[in-house]
Amino acid sequence: MATYQEFIQQNEERDGVRFSWNVWPSSRLEATRMVVPLSCLYTPLKERPDLPPVQYEPVLCSRTTCKAVLNPLCQVDFRAKLWTCNFCFQRNPFPPAYAGISEVNQPAELMPQFSTIEYIMQRGPQTPLIFLYVVDTCLEEEDLQALKESLQMSLSLLPPDALVGLITFGRMVQVHELSCEGISKSFVFRGTKDLSAKQIEEMLGLSKASTPAQQGRPLQPPDQTCTSRFLQPVHKIDMNLTDLLGELQRDPWPVPQGKRPLRSTGIALSIAVGLLEGTFPNTGARIMLFTGGPPTQGPGMVVGDELKTPIRSWHDIEKDNARHLKKATKYYEALANRAAANGHCVDIYACALDQTGLLEMKCCANLTGGYIVMGDSFNTSLFKQTFQRVFSKDYNGHFQMAFGGVIEVKVSRELKVSGTIGPCISLNAKGQSVSENEVGIGGTTHWKVCGLNPFTTLGIYFEVVNQHNAPVPQGGRGAIQFITQYQHSSTQRRIRVTTIARSWADAQSQLQHIEASFDQEASAVLMARLGVYRAESEEGPDVLRWLDRQLIRLCQKFGQFHKDDPSSFRLSEAFSLYPQFMFHLRRSPFLQVFNNSPDESSYYRHHFMRQDLTQSLIMIQPVLYSYSFYGPPEPVLLDSSSILPDRILLMDTFFQLVIYHGETIAQWRKAGYQDMAEYENFKQLLQAPLDDAQEILQSRFPMPRYIDTEHGGSQARFLLSKVNPSQTHNNLYSWGQETGAPILTDDVSLQVFMDHLKKLAVSSAS
Amino acid sequence: MADLYVKPGNHERGWNDPPQFSYGLQAQAQGAPKRNLLNKRVPPPQMNGPQSNTGSLANKGTPSAPPTMPLAPPPCASVSPQQKRSEEDNSTVITSSDSEPDIHVDTVMLVLNWALAVCQSTVKKQVCDDISKRLNLFVDMWNSGKLSLPVKKRMNILAQEIKKQNWNAADEIHRSLIVDHINEVSQWMVGVKRLIAESRSLPAEVFTVETSED
Repeated sequence: MATYQEFIQQNEERDGVRFSWNVWPSSRLEATRMVVPLSCLYTPLKERPDLPPVQYEPVLCSRTTCKAVLNPLCQVDFRAKLWTCNFCFQRNPFPPAYAGISEVNQPAELMPQFSTIEYIMQRGPQTPLIFLYVVDTCLEEEDLQALKESLQMSLSLLPPDALVGLITFGRMVQVHELSCEGISKSFVFRGTKDLSAKQIEEMLGLSKASTPAQQGRPLQPPDQTCTSRFLQPVHKIDMNLTDLLGELQRDPWPVPQGKRPLRSTGIALSIAVGLLEGTFPNTGARIMLFTGGPPTQGPGMVVGDELKTPIRSWHDIEKDNARHLKKATKYYEALANRAAANGHCVDIYACALDQTGLLEMKCCANLTGGYIVMGDSFNTSLFKQTFQRVFSKDYNGHFQMAFGGVIEVKVSRELKVSGTIGPCISLNAKGQSVSENEVGIGGTTHWKVCGLNPFTTLGIYFEVVNQHNAPVPQGGRGAIQFITQYQHSSTQRRIRVTTIARSWADAQSQLQHIEASFDQEASAVLMARLGVYRAESEEGPDVLRWLDRQLIRLCQKFGQFHKDDPSSFRLSEAFSLYPQFMFHLRRSPFLQVFNNSPDESSYYRHHFMRQDLTQSLIMIQPVLYSYSFYGPPEPVLLDSSSILPDRILLMDTFFQLVIYHGETIAQWRKAGYQDMAEYENFKQLLQAPLDDAQEILQSRFPMPRYIDTEHGGSQARFLLSKVNPSQTHNNLYSWGQETGAPILTDDVSLQVFMDHLKKLAVSSAS
Repeated sequence: MADLYVKPGNHERGWNDPPQFSYGLQAQAQGAPKRNLLNKRVPPPQMNGPQSNTGSLANKGTPSAPPTMPLAPPPCASVSPQQKRSEEDNSTVITSSDSEPDIHVDTVMLVLNWALAVCQSTVKKQVCDDISKRLNLFVDMWNSGKLSLPVKKRMNILAQEIKKQNWNAADEIHRSLIVDHINEVSQWMVGVKRLIAESRSLPAEVFTVETSED
């Protein structure tokens, strides 16, 4: 058989699934003793260029409490035209259209290679995608100009039949009526008074349209005349909207000295959510908020307009001294939940040098699957290109965005679902397979993800049901089915179904099988998601202690050692990288708030909680490659010993790309060797990391910051703060003639961390 | 067709702003498979096998003597032509040749006005007026020297594609122009965009009739 590594990779490519364990312990007690929970990272819309969707609907199990989808794991009686559900064992007749099936004539969904299959649903009206721009006008002239241009540009990137709308805000909120005729009108709202959804509908004259579209009847196209005033197809109003955007002015209200501009972000968002709620419930829509500063008035305000009162810091929050924090957070959470209930996602593009209130507003994106992008100015390539990439397309020319996803998880009887961590909300679907032990967003088997892309990834956590004295019988396999319904960017309704199975094993007699099936990369990310989820509610030190305890327990369980002899401690190949991941995770901005503003922490965590395994791992432990004359580029330890004079280093932290020229290389570069014909190879050496960096820059979303620095450069700090400080000012001399770069820090190094870990793992006291 | 270039980010406004890629380069990257994925990691030495305190690099016995002054030159080596070529492919800025003969705004407008004339029979007058207004703006900007050479060149190509009724190609050029040169084209490009959209929705016969009449 292939190695586990190949198995894991194949499964990820085919099904978009990575499990912490690929052989499952057969009882609940044994599962908890594995320390890392039975869990998986699931990327529902993982790109599958080799998987054309089928043009029919899935066949469902007829048991009303089950409704699992027919899949390759089902037993089929071809003669009687019956199939047995592998989840509830119900025997189901095939529908009439399957009358012709036989062993040699099987539908795709029964073939083992179609463990993941996508169906195009024929039912239901197709509604166009909707983009509602919510634009802050309290910007500097240069920023507003750049933003206006980006918005004008986006009209050419949107699908032509998409509906667009425009809300602008400053002290007041303006909802712009879009018409093909020359004159444009707008509705003006005060930014201080909260309005109910109903009031907003009435004031915008939507109430008539909304009546037939109220609950229970989704997807009914509302009366066109009313909605069309605010949301119009791009191809009809592109010229007028271009002019309207071009004519946008900075907020006209004067801002006195020592004050912040009055920004009614809260009301603007509330109107945006209300407008879509009243006109297009349960239809794919994106509210895109562009803001250049914190909300300063009305509901949802984050800081007052007095400049002498700075916006809350971590210190203020710890001292319970952040006046608006709780109220604002609650306000935005309510809005986010309303948007999510209607299937609408909210993006936040915040460009400013100071904080903009992402901490309070983050839920708008986190609960709806929207994006958060944080930059210094709208007039930067970071914002412009990131924004362009929102509209990027796949290999088929379809937009890489999907809407209104509902993800359902079905499990075989030996399993229950504890919960999910990712950009979603619970749909409160109770059932037998819901575990009482909630992890993340639990208590349900259905979740809603309003905005998805091919990288959106959920962490899903499971529980083994069987008690220790009645374990799952040997030789069997447990099964999980993921059913993702969503609106494709072509506006089709689609369903993607992935069905997987893994073997059960007795943890006492077959521990080595379970051990060998450990996926340390997936486990690191899944544990990190748990840690970050806790960090959002608990104090930092508690989370670190929890992570440490889990790591020690894991080492006790799977390490080989003689009691009380740390030097005898060994971990097998499958675990070799795991402690290092945990070491770097402890230092990461996802768990450490030192040196980050609350907004920055929120931003980093937002991306960490939604990215796929590869990207998440880069965030936990940045990748470091070394370029030299001695061979092709090679990965090196993220360690100060890797910083050598004759090397160029490329470090990718996901949010930053750093190119670092070692001391000698920098001197050679300064001396201009790269311009001499006989040192062509040096020129190429300099070019190689630039080319690799360019490739990353061209595909990463959001666009990372890009740092080109050298030995002694002030920006070298980005590298120095990430590497393991194996050489510091404290131990430099004891290292003798060792090479590498000492880091001026009192942080614990990986070596010290490992020594402690070993000591604790082998200790007979614990 | 589209220009391929990278220009530096705006370091005045954003710290460590990344470089900006042209529309053509971005479009290329979207479909292309990754050359080398940089996602490998090295296990720390002390986790497997006997203790060793040094990083993996130091074990290789590479000549990493401390830098002494005066500076020793880097090892010199000539480069095989193959390597050289691949490097040129990557780094040079590819633009349509610079020595193209003068492009006249009249040549471009001849085609655009022709397409607009065809549209006028079916499309609402107000829309046509709007398009016409924007085309005039385009002419004004061209004549007053407010358009850069790349914009002029690509508008010329765009016009040729319209003439050949290659609507998809024309639309793609419009998109590359609006992404790469939004500050020059923001006011009038939407007129060209609309013209392409309206023309492509007309039956192809309308155009053949018009051409034969010319």
